[in-house]
Amino acid sequence: MKRAILAALTIAAPAAATVVLRRAGGLRLNRGLAALQLAVRGGARYAGNAPRLFLLAGENRQQLRNDLALQTAEDVASTLGAMKGVLMKLGQMASYVDDGLPPEARRTLGRLQDSVPPMSAELAAGVIEEELGMPPERIFAEWDPEPIAAASIGQVHRAITRDGRAVAVKVQYPGIAETIAADLGNVSLLRRMLRIIAPGQDVDSLVSELRERIVEELDYRREADNQRLFAEYYDGHPTIGVPKIVAELSTRRVVTSDLATGARFSELAGWSQHERDLAAETIYRFVFRSLYDMRAFNGDPHPGNYLFHGGGKVTFLDFGLVKHFTPAELRPLMDMARDLCVENDPEAFRRSLEDAGFLQPGAPLSTDVIVDHLAVFYDTIRKPGELTITGDYSSAVVRRFFDVRSPIAPYAQVPRSYVILQRINLGVFALLGELTATADWRGIAEEIWPFVQGPPSTPMGRAEAAWRAGRPAERIRRRAS
Amino acid sequence: MAADSYADVSGLVERSAAAYASSVPEHPADDGFFGPGSVTWRLSTDLSGPISALRSLMIQALHPLAMAGVDQHSDWRSDPVGRLAATSSYLTTVSVGDKATAERASARVRRIHGHVRGVDSVTGQPYAAGDSALLLWVHAVFVDSTIAAAQLFGTRLSAADADRYVAEMVAAAELVGVPAAKVPASAAALGRYLESVRPELRATPAARETTAYLLDPPGLDPDVAEIWQDIRAGAIGSLPGWARDMYGYEMPEPLTDARRTEIRQALGVLDTVFLGEPGVLEARQRLALRMRAARVA
Repeated sequence: MKRAILAALTIAAPAAATVVLRRAGGLRLNRGLAALQLAVRGGARYAGNAPRLFLLAGENRQQLRNDLALQTAEDVASTLGAMKGVLMKLGQMASYVDDGLPPEARRTLGRLQDSVPPMSAELAAGVIEEELGMPPERIFAEWDPEPIAAASIGQVHRAITRDGRAVAVKVQYPGIAETIAADLGNVSLLRRMLRIIAPGQDVDSLVSELRERIVEELDYRREADNQRLFAEYYDGHPTIGVPKIVAELSTRRVVTSDLATGARFSELAGWSQHERDLAAETIYRFVFRSLYDMRAFNGDPHPGNYLFHGGGKVTFLDFGLVKHFTPAELRPLMDMARDLCVENDPEAFRRSLEDAGFLQPGAPLSTDVIVDHLAVFYDTIRKPGELTITGDYSSAVVRRFFDVRSPIAPYAQVPRSYVILQRINLGVFALLGELTATADWRGIAEEIWPFVQGPPSTPMGRAEAAWRAGRPAERIRRRAS
Repeated sequence: MAADSYADVSGLVERSAAAYASSVPEHPADDGFFGPGSVTWRLSTDLSGPISALRSLMIQALHPLAMAGVDQHSDWRSDPVGRLAATSSYLTTVSVGDKATAERASARVRRIHGHVRGVDSVTGQPYAAGDSALLLWVHAVFVDSTIAAAQLFGTRLSAADADRYVAEMVAAAELVGVPAAKVPASAAALGRYLESVRPELRATPAARETTAYLLDPPGLDPDVAEIWQDIRAGAIGSLPGWARDMYGYEMPEPLTDARRTEIRQALGVLDTVFLGEPGVLEARQRLALRMRAARVA
């Protein structure tokens, strides 16, 4: 509960740098519980932590266990059926919620990320033929039968379309949608697993959110729709790139988009801090621009879902998990940030928390106590000026939060529509922490906050402002032509 | 002694995983007694394994002399986890280990069996663990349970493959010291043999305690225990009616397709727990690669 509210609040105010969230201090895990938590990590480990890397051939290819390739739909079922695929998804979620993994486990995880074997060339071609009506060699001018990357429920192939576009084609494992749908039907087992994995959280909310999200992910058409939405919105953006969908080659189990290339997240370690800061600024702008302007959030901040090009240019990949908010859902998040950071009005902040359903109305707590415990998560945006988000800083913030036995915990909860925020949010801030990114986060937040609409605070901000100014005209021009 | 005299099951996952991982050879000298194309190999990695093991232990315990040998001589009560891990390690070694390793392991088991003798307090009969009749009983129930559990909860198993499996496993019985001529070599012969032993079976107090312990092991986290309920229901549901009657268990819920799917899902969770343990995934991959190569060839 605490972790959930923490995360949800963090997104409301893009402030807290929660790189490492440790399990609440006093919580003791007995062996059985620890075993199942291990299982979830096992799920992640076993099934690959969905490194949806649209990479150039060769880079990731060695990691794919082609020698173990799944050859039949039965192979798929025995690898990802019987809750294993679902556990893998839970593992993916848990890796954002509780990232207390020791470095050794991290390395193992990295090594085994792609341990779900790919489909054999024949099996993948069979899916293409069923979905697009013809074998891949006839649909495409060129088709690389060897996958270039694993996806959680599919794999990515390179191809060149008949009109010469280099594309990435994501192909879903045959039968996986049916298997996972059946497994998601076992609500009582899901509840038990979630009670073990996420003790103290509202399991019913998690179950329904999880089911909804996974069901969405199973239908690639949704992903294509979402990616199209983001690609259109960010069309022409100076630093944010989203590969365009090829509609006629996208179906329920196949999604085709432009092939993107670039440096992977791990390569940023070798880049200058200035470059890393720029990349972080773009990620930050993308996340909060999308939230406030599009009311949408791309729910999978996995490091594999970004490609970097220098100068702050970033390509955003994989829109399989997008959450859309209604204006009514978004408003309280904005209100909370405004009340605390702009208006500096603790009473209003408390009312906004209550209105959103985060805090029980009339909780016997002074507003000071509430602000004391939550303001820490707005630290990076309460005051203007440059600030570095480091792993140390953020875990210190988290420890401070957990060290105090939070008096607000009994009165706090996370409304269902915000449940996914923790998954999204922790991943994003973990990335920024890993980049040890420095920026005037408050200045950027002010540009993005609809209730401030501040002037550009950085060179990237100026470029973005110019892009925004040009957008309607650009649209009219395109319509006219 | 009551069931609560048993030690709890903490460490079951960790220890059986370690035993499993170390029993799947990294550099085998040969393909062992069955080989990667065998039904034995396929079933040794089947999801239904835990139910097969439970069913097997429950039925084996109904033979008073087999039960007495375990109860009076092994560390079953004080270290049930160690005992289970050792047994599963042995079975893995015999199934997928190379021949020399399998022979060494079974020689060791035969040596230990040589020391296990006594008089059963329930029937008053003398017993010896090396008695080939008792060994055959244990063997036959194991083979029968593997087939029954796989057919209910595992990957599809044809009648022909079930027959093949029974025939393959004759070699495993020989390894522990049962003359091949005595060992059923087809599913039908296996059924006839099991039927023939039924008059000797009894649900002794030791059998009831062992079974109660296995079905409801102390020391499980409540949520894990809930997941275990499905495994338990699967095991009870998979028993032959006569065995269920001897223990006095109600038939849990009919094993409809939907119920079997639920139980499979619980098995999948357990299997993922297992795969999360060090070395298990790698061991499975070693086997999968060899089985894949055999499939191609």
